[in-house]
Amino acid sequence: MNQDLHHLSAAYALDALDADERAAFEAHYPTCEICSAEVNEFRDTAAVLAAEAQVPPPAALKARIMAEAARTRQLPPILPDKVVDLAERRRRRAPRPLVVAAAAAALVVVVSVGAILRSGSGPDRAEQILAAPDALVTSLEGGDGTIRVVWSAERDEIAVFGNGLPDPGPGSTYELWFVLDEGVAPAGLFEPDTDGIIRTVLEVDDIVGSGWAITIEPDGGSPQPTGDIVFSGPV
Amino acid sequence: MGDVNPLRRLTAVRGRAPADLASIFADVSRGDQAAFSELYDLTSDLVHGIARRIVRDPAMAEEVTQDVFLELWRLAPRYDASKGSVRTWVATLAHRRAVDRVRSEQAGRRRDEQELRRQTADYDHVSEEVLDRLDHTRVQRALAALSDLQRDAVSLAYYGGYTYREVAVLLDVPEGTVKTRIRDGLIKLRDDFGVSP
Repeated sequence: MNQDLHHLSAAYALDALDADERAAFEAHYPTCEICSAEVNEFRDTAAVLAAEAQVPPPAALKARIMAEAARTRQLPPILPDKVVDLAERRRRRAPRPLVVAAAAAALVVVVSVGAILRSGSGPDRAEQILAAPDALVTSLEGGDGTIRVVWSAERDEIAVFGNGLPDPGPGSTYELWFVLDEGVAPAGLFEPDTDGIIRTVLEVDDIVGSGWAITIEPDGGSPQPTGDIVFSGPV
Repeated sequence: MGDVNPLRRLTAVRGRAPADLASIFADVSRGDQAAFSELYDLTSDLVHGIARRIVRDPAMAEEVTQDVFLELWRLAPRYDASKGSVRTWVATLAHRRAVDRVRSEQAGRRRDEQELRRQTADYDHVSEEVLDRLDHTRVQRALAALSDLQRDAVSLAYYGGYTYREVAVLLDVPEGTVKTRIRDGLIKLRDDFGVSP
């Protein structure tokens, strides 16, 4: 598995991996010096290839984009101490594949260290998150049903709203992941009710992600995704 | 787009304005809309070109272009220059969004072989169009120096937006072979382009 992963950096840099392999590689390469260096080089190479593909957009597009940008707030920068923090947390949370395979005991430790709480959710609290000034709402794309993730970095909370979701199956749960620049970090577990509706609040670490992914994992969740990605989307 | 200095535009097209882009982007990260306008002028052909090439549909390509620029705007304060140039980041984001768009459109309906063949025909057409362009001889020369299989594998993956498994079906060769050809093709291009490790 690991040997295979090492050879995926080129295909990854061309976005030529399917969702599962992409997720597996993104969980691997930040911890691998060779792969991260290769990803950077191959991305630079791909950017040169992109020069071949230039086509001017219709002139009217610029005004639309400028107007949209004018009413869109930029994300705050990542503070230096948070970056350090994040790297540290990632070291704890992203054990090498061998360690992941090791034991259920390790899993319990990682989950508790991660301080991910599954909280009893009140509609009020979910609504509050939705109304937070910094709330970022993302509709995820993927499997059956719809999922919207609302993230307030200020509150360190996420509200998950969903409809028409299939039961994850006995002994299984949905797990939400932060997609980071490099790899993923767990954001919490949730299960829809019998009508396939989910409305819950997850408390998360002070963490910065650029996207979301949802997988189906064994009860209690996993430190790294093991199931197929059923939903995903950018933040 | 019309009022940008033609010289600057040319250097951007040729990818020789990294310092310029970096300082423009630093201004964008501080919320400077005039700088964002410059960034758009310098990189919109790139973003839109990638989107057009991969999603094909003009309206959808415009949507992807808009999404990419708004994402660049939103994420600008978090750009980390140590992880790559602005140009690479723009191209990476554009390609990723275009490919994700195509794949989410396709989710739920598998492409059958006929459709794959139709798209292969499109691809041949486009690559001829590409070869007619005089402005990018460096890329053309580098691509021409690859073996046929390397060039086809890299082109279908990058310009076609296919996964290597799909490329394997298109080229009728084993998946492992495609993975290897993409890898050694890209290594050759990397060395040819002088991308430093």
